[in-house]
Amino acid sequence: MAIIHAHRLRKTYPSGSTHVVALDDVSFDVQQGDFVVIAGRSGSGKTTLLNMLGALDRPDSGTLKVAGQDLLSMGEAERANFRLWHIGFVFQAYNLIRVLTARENVAYVLQLQGKPSRERLKAADAWLAEVGLEGMGDRRPDQMSGGQQQRVAVARALAMSPSLVLADEPTANLDTHTGGELIRLMRRINEKNGTTFVIASHDPAVIDAAHTLIVMQDGRIEQSVCRD
Amino acid sequence: MSAVAMGVISLIFLWGFNDGVHNTMMRNLQEVIVGSIQIHAKGFFRKPSLQDTLEDVPSLLELLDRMHVQRVAPRLRAFALAAGRETSEGLVVLGVDPRLERTVTRLQEKLDRGRYLEEMDRASCILGQTTARNLGVDVGDEIVLLTEDRYHVLAAEKFRVIGIIASGEMGIDRGLAIIPIRFMQAWLDMGQQISGLVLQLPPERLEAVTAALRQHLDQRFEVLRWYDMYPMMKQWVELENGFYYIFLSIVLVIVAAGIANTVLMSMLDRIHEFGVMMALGCSRLRLAGMIVLESVLLGVAGMAAGCLAGLALVSWFGRHGIDLSAQMDTVSRFYVDPVVHTQIDTDHLLVTLGAVLLAAALAAIWPAVRVARLQPVEAMRHV
Repeated sequence: MAIIHAHRLRKTYPSGSTHVVALDDVSFDVQQGDFVVIAGRSGSGKTTLLNMLGALDRPDSGTLKVAGQDLLSMGEAERANFRLWHIGFVFQAYNLIRVLTARENVAYVLQLQGKPSRERLKAADAWLAEVGLEGMGDRRPDQMSGGQQQRVAVARALAMSPSLVLADEPTANLDTHTGGELIRLMRRINEKNGTTFVIASHDPAVIDAAHTLIVMQDGRIEQSVCRD
Repeated sequence: MSAVAMGVISLIFLWGFNDGVHNTMMRNLQEVIVGSIQIHAKGFFRKPSLQDTLEDVPSLLELLDRMHVQRVAPRLRAFALAAGRETSEGLVVLGVDPRLERTVTRLQEKLDRGRYLEEMDRASCILGQTTARNLGVDVGDEIVLLTEDRYHVLAAEKFRVIGIIASGEMGIDRGLAIIPIRFMQAWLDMGQQISGLVLQLPPERLEAVTAALRQHLDQRFEVLRWYDMYPMMKQWVELENGFYYIFLSIVLVIVAAGIANTVLMSMLDRIHEFGVMMALGCSRLRLAGMIVLESVLLGVAGMAAGCLAGLALVSWFGRHGIDLSAQMDTVSRFYVDPVVHTQIDTDHLLVTLGAVLLAAALAAIWPAVRVARLQPVEAMRHV
């Protein structure tokens, strides 16, 4: 079953007196439980596409359905609600809330979902343990390494039980070893829980881990490979 | 937060000063001569007449006793021509019960020289200092009072001046002679009749007792509160309070600007964070609400600190007073004490605190609108 259905997506951005085409006629489907990597050079449109899939940005034209919902027909409040219940984000720069502890960062999305305090803290601890950060829940982001922070970000993305996890260059700020560990963690969770991952990256280690590889260039899909 | 606290401290202190002056003025007016409530025959206050006496006084006293009104004194009032050593002057003759009058007014505290009336006094009188000066008399001298008795028969009597009052109030210092009520009743052939009763009450009982008396007493009586008789004082206090409300509004604008600046700077500092929160699913409305809540909490914290410090200040000056005798040469006439003891009325405190909270909430509107307009992708790019 397709969790993502994208058809002829197009997005342009104004740049001075002209327009830069960020996405041009992009069409693809992603199946439930897949581990997809969108590869390509910087400026190829990976992040723009990820922002579309995560309801953070809108295409100028095309059709986009995620988890059975038409993202283009949604208003801002509906899109925020959609992100809250369906999309887990992992960002390149971790983007943890710096004044919160690791546990509170993970629990924050559950708070937005309206879960009771005890339940969300318990779930946060369980997800921190799942990503290998057991006992580190009281640390703040500035007391953790980059790899640890990115694991917290993964735990935060997964804690909300999303339909889809979107990760934008998750290993870009990590050393090779830590990046490899992180990608193995995501792959393990994908296989264990059946969570769908779509990762934008040009890191060879991430590309190697892909089940489906979509290669982009100049805003277009150049190649789409499924490794069965 | 310190700006809010300073604003609240200054507002509370200014209200404390204002209320201290006003409450003293109103209390002095009541305690020096007027009392809290006066009961007369209907129409007496507007057109005083010796013939319009209070009926059924024993039942009235019984009713007041049942209402637990303990501080009650009778008065008899007439107009007379006073002749002194040099000249004559028209004045109001007020017959008072020396013992009971002490329970309702503090006239005796305003004596400049001589002594106050005592139970056994007969043809003795107390004059205001202006009247005494006009008549050319002093303590120990005699004056003659000429008036009509109950039956419109001319009555004249010689009185010895036993005390001179210097209150600073024109209505007391000029045109008033105070004599023992029993002697006055006998002199003017009044029997036991009186013109009215003066009641002294704590301020919080004033309205309830007035309402109860008006309900119980029939059309033969008039029940007047101090400000029904002398509305100018209350109107002046309300006018001054009006000025203070304008001042309050100005200070609140400054407080709101301070809070708005703090909240806006804090908001601009966290744009990236807000972008992340929006990406995670936090709605614009929730983010805007968070900004307003932060602002209100800032207001509450500043308000709590300012309130504690302000009330401590008011309490300290309430006990020790602020001595303005050097600056109060002229205003001391208007029932103002030269030493101001600060005190704040609960309603003024609550209005001030409520207004600060409202200002804090209003100050957050613009930062909240700016947060609600953020686009998550652009906000996350913000460093």
